[in-house]
Amino acid sequence: MANITLQQVNRSFGSVHAVDNISLTIADGEFFTLLGPSGCGKTTLLRMVAGFADLETGEIRFGGRRIDTLPAHRRNTGMVFQNYAIFPNLKVGENVAYGLRARKVPGPKIAERVASALRLVKLAEHGDRWPHQLSGGQLQRVAIARALVIEPEVLLLDEPLSNLDAQLRVEMRGEIRQLQQSLGITAIYVTHDQEEALAISDRIAVMRQGRLEQIGAPDDIYRRPATPFVAEFMGTTNLLMGTLAAQGTRIKVGETEFGVPRLEAPDGTNVSFSLRPEALRPLIDDEASPQGWAVVAAKLTRLEFLGALTRVEASLSHGAPLRAAWLDLPLQRLHTGDLLRFAYDPGRVTVFA
Amino acid sequence: MTIFAAPRQRFPLLVTVLGLALLSVFFLFPLSRIFSASFLDRQGVHLTLANYIKILGSAFYQQAVANSFEIGALATLLAVLVAVPLAFALARFPIIGKSVLLSLVVLPLILPSFVSAYALLLMFGRAGLATQALRDLGIPFGSIYGAPGIIAVYTLTLYPYVLLPTLAGLKAIDVSVEEASHNLGASRWRGFWTVTLPIVIPSVLSGALLVFIETLENFGVPIVLAEDKPILSVEAFKLFVGETDQNPSSAGVLGVLLIVSTALVLLIQRHYLARRRFATGARRSPPIIAIGSGSRLVASAACWAVVLLSLFPFFAVVVLSFMKFRGPVLQGGFSLDNFADLLGRSARPLENTLMLSGLAALVAALIGVPIGYAITRFRSTLTNLLEIVSTMPFAVAGTVLGIGLIISFNSGWLVLTGGWLIMVIAYVVRKLPFSVRSSASVLHQIDPSLEEASVNLGVSPVMTFARLTVPLMLGGIIGGMVLTWVTVSSELSATVVLYSGEWQTLTVVMFQALEGTGAGTAVAAASLLIVITLVPLALVYRLLRRYEASLL
Repeated sequence: MANITLQQVNRSFGSVHAVDNISLTIADGEFFTLLGPSGCGKTTLLRMVAGFADLETGEIRFGGRRIDTLPAHRRNTGMVFQNYAIFPNLKVGENVAYGLRARKVPGPKIAERVASALRLVKLAEHGDRWPHQLSGGQLQRVAIARALVIEPEVLLLDEPLSNLDAQLRVEMRGEIRQLQQSLGITAIYVTHDQEEALAISDRIAVMRQGRLEQIGAPDDIYRRPATPFVAEFMGTTNLLMGTLAAQGTRIKVGETEFGVPRLEAPDGTNVSFSLRPEALRPLIDDEASPQGWAVVAAKLTRLEFLGALTRVEASLSHGAPLRAAWLDLPLQRLHTGDLLRFAYDPGRVTVFA
Repeated sequence: MTIFAAPRQRFPLLVTVLGLALLSVFFLFPLSRIFSASFLDRQGVHLTLANYIKILGSAFYQQAVANSFEIGALATLLAVLVAVPLAFALARFPIIGKSVLLSLVVLPLILPSFVSAYALLLMFGRAGLATQALRDLGIPFGSIYGAPGIIAVYTLTLYPYVLLPTLAGLKAIDVSVEEASHNLGASRWRGFWTVTLPIVIPSVLSGALLVFIETLENFGVPIVLAEDKPILSVEAFKLFVGETDQNPSSAGVLGVLLIVSTALVLLIQRHYLARRRFATGARRSPPIIAIGSGSRLVASAACWAVVLLSLFPFFAVVVLSFMKFRGPVLQGGFSLDNFADLLGRSARPLENTLMLSGLAALVAALIGVPIGYAITRFRSTLTNLLEIVSTMPFAVAGTVLGIGLIISFNSGWLVLTGGWLIMVIAYVVRKLPFSVRSSASVLHQIDPSLEEASVNLGVSPVMTFARLTVPLMLGGIIGGMVLTWVTVSSELSATVVLYSGEWQTLTVVMFQALEGTGAGTAVAAASLLIVITLVPLALVYRLLRRYEASLL
């Protein structure tokens, strides 16, 4: 087990800078997620750690040991592939034993470790089955057992849940997280699904066009996005542009003013800011806003009832849309066309320079 | 170049370099010798264009070029006219016994075409069975010698080259495309002409160009049927055998002409048509069109007639081989005399055929599979080059390659002429495009992440290839080896240039029998050849069905 350091890692394909000068450190035992849209370089970065993509410049180290110069088969990483990559010509048990045989572990020891790895992923009875007899979720467990049984220094997961149906996906991500915690293994996880990343990670690195946009704990990334891109990528948000007013305590968007925590910039400066829909609380009838909160009014244009949650779309005086989401709204008291007041805590506003 | 330094590239790099080296020595070098022979004088010393002026100025050789192209064009046209309706019927009509037909339809590509030509000769030649019968009945019958016979044999043996891609093209059209045309108001007939046919035309044309290349290269069919009509591939051989000078300059000129024409056609085929694939990736193929039982019978009968007609010559040869001959004349009555004659003289031709094709199949797989792996899994400038060079033998007629090998290796640093090795080399080079492409197509069906998973678990790339990839490819490799084996055992054009003394094969025996020793021996050899070909095909039939696309 070891921490992982990437130092000024670069790779381009033709004119595309797939990985653009990335440096980061992953702590021992950390569950670290690379998150971003397709083509952002997250998979290339993971494959660099595994040894399947070459670095043009830079270094990768496990602990103090430099590994980017080693061939892939000597790096001792355990990788779980997007499509599982279970060898179809080998039985489940033989799949799990594959890496142990490559390491010349003695026979009886292999049987023992395969059995315990299969127990770990709740497939103790399936060692003699052929891969084609297993379901997608079971194949995924075999892939995890196969990667873990070699006791790798780091577990690499490349969108491992994207081929599973929604319910199984939620279930499996819980199991992966639990397994990682109980073994205390360092893990790098690649996904484009922000909810999955938030649910499973100790820390998340959001990537875009080969660069790191932000690294941080899930709530940090969600609540305090460093860039408009991160704000929009991590779930829906209201991304608005305006000018600073009232000694940096308000932002004018058209004729509407938003109260914000005091900013150290001259009035009249153009800024953009993000305000999450769930931070906006619709005030019904004459309901008073909580102490210290700001209020903004907008015309209700659309209500979308989603069961527990109701999505509200409204338009500001100059026409810009404002989205809100709230639990258990009294729908019959809201009518499209009405002017509705929304209260929010100014501390929930994230302003970008 | 960082990619060359990367450790994971070492194995493919090694394969690529070795592959290029082998092909340079045994393919590019002989080719270059043909080119240089054509530009040197008789003593092989001075550069000259005299050879070209002499050959191209001769009416005889002009006629040879014209004949080759004319016969090729007509045969290609006829093959298309036979194959396209057949493909459409097989794809869309409820043909009776369709699955049997689909497996029979590939056979003409695999069975030796000059056996088919020989059967035609035995039946419709001057002393032919059918000719006699027709004459006795007073029905006038034209000559099959020259263009008519050659075109007939080409059409009947090469039409599957058009049929298979067209059939695949028709099946790859998603039903929604045709439905859309009907939804927009096109009748079924109009939909066929405006949508279906244009979509499959690239497939038809690419098959047609393959037919054309085959006709230009083919040696066995014209040597049997051309008589005194000059044909490019045959004349190159005759010139080479006849030339006593130091430098086979005239044969070199014809060789260059052949190479340039086939290479041009192949280039058109690969670069123009390969990009015009309109296959829509069918999720649902268009349904079988319901037709009345009368039409169904007629359509089925027509399909069966075409396929059986193309296989009939082979069937006839097997039957004839059990009959009595005296010289070239059929005596009637069944006997095993022909086989006794053939094998009584010597069993060597049979043994040679089995041994040489076995060896060639093995070596072609040993070289072709790693090359297929390198060019599919590791794209680089070098592997692209290897891919091009390893497909090039397809454009070189066997006769020409044989001549090139002889002038390259009959003296100097490496002497190979006169033995079995040079024959095996010629076979391996000729069949390499097929071996490479069949392994590449198998590899396309294997997810590369399986190999990455193996490497990730600690198995080196070389051992991963040997222990994981090869076992996964095994079906395809065996299928490819059988097809190599089968096609090499009926190889004539390079063999006839390269064999010597004791290394006669069955095809050489047939070739010599044509020139006098008697039809009995020839049909016995042809019949043995068919058995040798069909038995392994039947054994691996299931495997082959999955990879028949790579024949193209």
